[in-house]
Amino acid sequence: MRPVPVPRRLAAAIAIAASVALGVALTAPASAQELKIAVAADVTSIDPHFFNLFPNNNIAEHIFDKLVQMDADSRMIPGVATSWKTLDDRTWEFKLRRGVKFHDGSELTAEDVAFSINRVPTVPNSPGPFSAYTKAIVGIDIVDPYTIRFRTAAPHPLMPNDMSTIYIVSKKVATGAPTEDFNSGKAAVGSGRYKFVRYVNGDRVEIVRNDAYWGEKPPFARVTFRIIKNEPARMAALLSGDVDAIEQPPTADLARLKSDPKFTLTSKISHRVIYFNFDHLDRSSPFVTGKDGKPLEKNPLTDVRVRRAISKAINRPAIAERVMEGQAIPSGQLVSEKLFGHNPALKAEAYDPEGAKKLLAEAGYPNGFNLTIHGPAGRYVNDEKIVQAVAQMLARVGITAKVETAPMGPYSGRASKQEFSFHMVGWGASTGEASSPLRSLLATFNRDKGLGAVNWGRYSNTRVDYLIEQALQQVNDENRMIMLQRATELAMADLGIMPIHFQFTMWATKKNVAYTPRTDEYTLAFQFRPVRQ
Amino acid sequence: MSTVVPAVPEPAARAAQSPFARIASDFVANPVAVFGLVLLALIVAAAVFAPLISPQNPYDLAQLDVMDSKLPPGSKSPNGGTFWLGTDDQGRDMLSAIFYGLRISLMVGAASTVLALLVGLTMGLTAAYLGGRIETLIMRIVDIQLSFPAILIALILIAVLGQGTGKVIAALVTIQWAYYARTVRSAALVEKRKEYMEAARCLALSPARIVFRHLLPNCLPPMIVVATVQVAAAIALEATLSFLGLGLPITEPSLGLLIANGYQYLLSGKYWISFFPGVALLATIVSINLVADQLRDVLNPRLSR
Repeated sequence: MRPVPVPRRLAAAIAIAASVALGVALTAPASAQELKIAVAADVTSIDPHFFNLFPNNNIAEHIFDKLVQMDADSRMIPGVATSWKTLDDRTWEFKLRRGVKFHDGSELTAEDVAFSINRVPTVPNSPGPFSAYTKAIVGIDIVDPYTIRFRTAAPHPLMPNDMSTIYIVSKKVATGAPTEDFNSGKAAVGSGRYKFVRYVNGDRVEIVRNDAYWGEKPPFARVTFRIIKNEPARMAALLSGDVDAIEQPPTADLARLKSDPKFTLTSKISHRVIYFNFDHLDRSSPFVTGKDGKPLEKNPLTDVRVRRAISKAINRPAIAERVMEGQAIPSGQLVSEKLFGHNPALKAEAYDPEGAKKLLAEAGYPNGFNLTIHGPAGRYVNDEKIVQAVAQMLARVGITAKVETAPMGPYSGRASKQEFSFHMVGWGASTGEASSPLRSLLATFNRDKGLGAVNWGRYSNTRVDYLIEQALQQVNDENRMIMLQRATELAMADLGIMPIHFQFTMWATKKNVAYTPRTDEYTLAFQFRPVRQ
Repeated sequence: MSTVVPAVPEPAARAAQSPFARIASDFVANPVAVFGLVLLALIVAAAVFAPLISPQNPYDLAQLDVMDSKLPPGSKSPNGGTFWLGTDDQGRDMLSAIFYGLRISLMVGAASTVLALLVGLTMGLTAAYLGGRIETLIMRIVDIQLSFPAILIALILIAVLGQGTGKVIAALVTIQWAYYARTVRSAALVEKRKEYMEAARCLALSPARIVFRHLLPNCLPPMIVVATVQVAAAIALEATLSFLGLGLPITEPSLGLLIANGYQYLLSGKYWISFFPGVALLATIVSINLVADQLRDVLNPRLSR
């Protein structure tokens, strides 16, 4: 039995009709105090430690604080911690801000930080815990209410990065509180810029400004996040005036948005790289056959010349221009320009179909072979269209390609079991630096060490592994950067994975609202501000 | 046993004219129906000869270039031709894609109708002729099936069977046989009581012979009408399934998928990606319905004169 995509276009038609009707009903001008944002993905919980899932974190960013925050370019800036330093190779010390108050009026101290870190691995039924970011910590010392120390078993330079992912909950309120108490609001007490009001699963999250926040106060007093998964429906909600801003406007509508004076389009390069995995296993690859349709005994994708040929056959600028409507930058590596570990020497592979044919002939496939390309449906911007465009480009160098797509859930299930030969995925460097994709996508798969967790093609190169492991323990920033760059360079020379582009994250707003865009793709209410017309 | 069977009288043999000539002359009496027939003939010809008349093979990825995507109707193609109806988001020539899409739509419509007709006829005649428990069983199954919306059954079946042309046809047959079974049963029940049937039974003919030689031919006219209407319904349903992303592979779009691909561009003014396949689908269904309507009038003895 095969999975079937939800009849989303039908749902779309209904949703459009409904939102247009709503728009007519709600044409009263929104006050400058209130902001309605349509987001693209379901929020599954308000518990900030339950599931490390982008839409959940997006809401948690408002309600909860972290020791370290990320600015719009994914650089670390002080959060609840005002400063941090290493005392020795294996001890980090964080100094906490004084006078940070939870929404219930109690003060945030080192006790709450320690409690939050200890809570992370204990949340029951967590489908994707944050424990990867706390497991380096072997001991916590509370020196005084405003000083906390973390001890690690090995040198751990990424401690501040890790701490930029852990939300701080109140020890008093959250002790013993199950995830349901967060969803109902009982335990959803943080110290963030906004206070929790209401969460309706699959529909909306409402929050209200925290006027006691320690930092700059956000301009909008009340914010509603509407969850509208369907692209045309989200777009219709903006056009009808139902919401003030949407994330991920459909690229098909960009031309219209740009030319319409009632709306503003904001975009920024994302930390997410869109790439293809090759089957690196020494076997008869499941979706590669000879031109006669018979399985090939040897997997051609294990030959770096074949991988290089495929990479050369792909016209990345054409995909960025025509498929992505200019909302992508061709890529030859894992993290985009401003991120730590970006290697300026690595350029996107140039389009060279003749070179590709030559390499295929050299590798012993002068007539190419048959290949089925797999891709997710509706997970990344224009994912199905990218896969089809890649298929036609491969067809032109002799690799007869078929395309199969499926929704992300069942798709990733199959991909992670090495059921595909050549398939597309995306990866966001959530820690804001290159070690994140390197250790997850390119390090040799090793469940015990937590390495190569998403290395679905099973690429393995001992030199890359060595550099990654060294970099993860290298406390000196400059040395670590060089190691990350070098590891990336080696993996890219091998085409362990094949990057296509960095997608842009886009937001469309009404003219009277402006958004400061972010590389981490978050849609944060406090980054919106009213614009006088 | 006697092998000579007296000719069973045709109930509607009212003229010296052969029945086909009569049907033909009645049919052309209506100019709208003739228009429908001509349109249908053109569409079928376009579908059958698609590989010969299409400027491009829209299913051969090597012939597509994403650099030609979303061009408006009348744009020049790089190899010297013209995209008369524009291109879609993969650079596919819409005209060729529509010809090939029609091919799939008509093929799926015709194949599912013929198969459903066969299954439905057999079940309906069996029920009417045998009566009793078998009739009750078959007709209750028909009742249950007709009480579900067709699209719901189709969605469930595609979910269970998986995607692909054969599976779409199987789903359509499963949905449609019930209509034929019900129609043929009621026609057969009427015929069964007529004298010629009694005569046939008195001659101790085998049941199979009675059913297929005597009962069936006299039940056919209403079936032809139902079948023509159902072809249109099958084509529309296939387009719906494709539009929902449940039909055929995305690299071999049928009309429904072409419409779905263009649907997201409607707001940005690139109307042609959805519009022309939509027109083609509309023309196909309307022309079949026009022909079906006239056929119904011509074949219905109660309406004639």
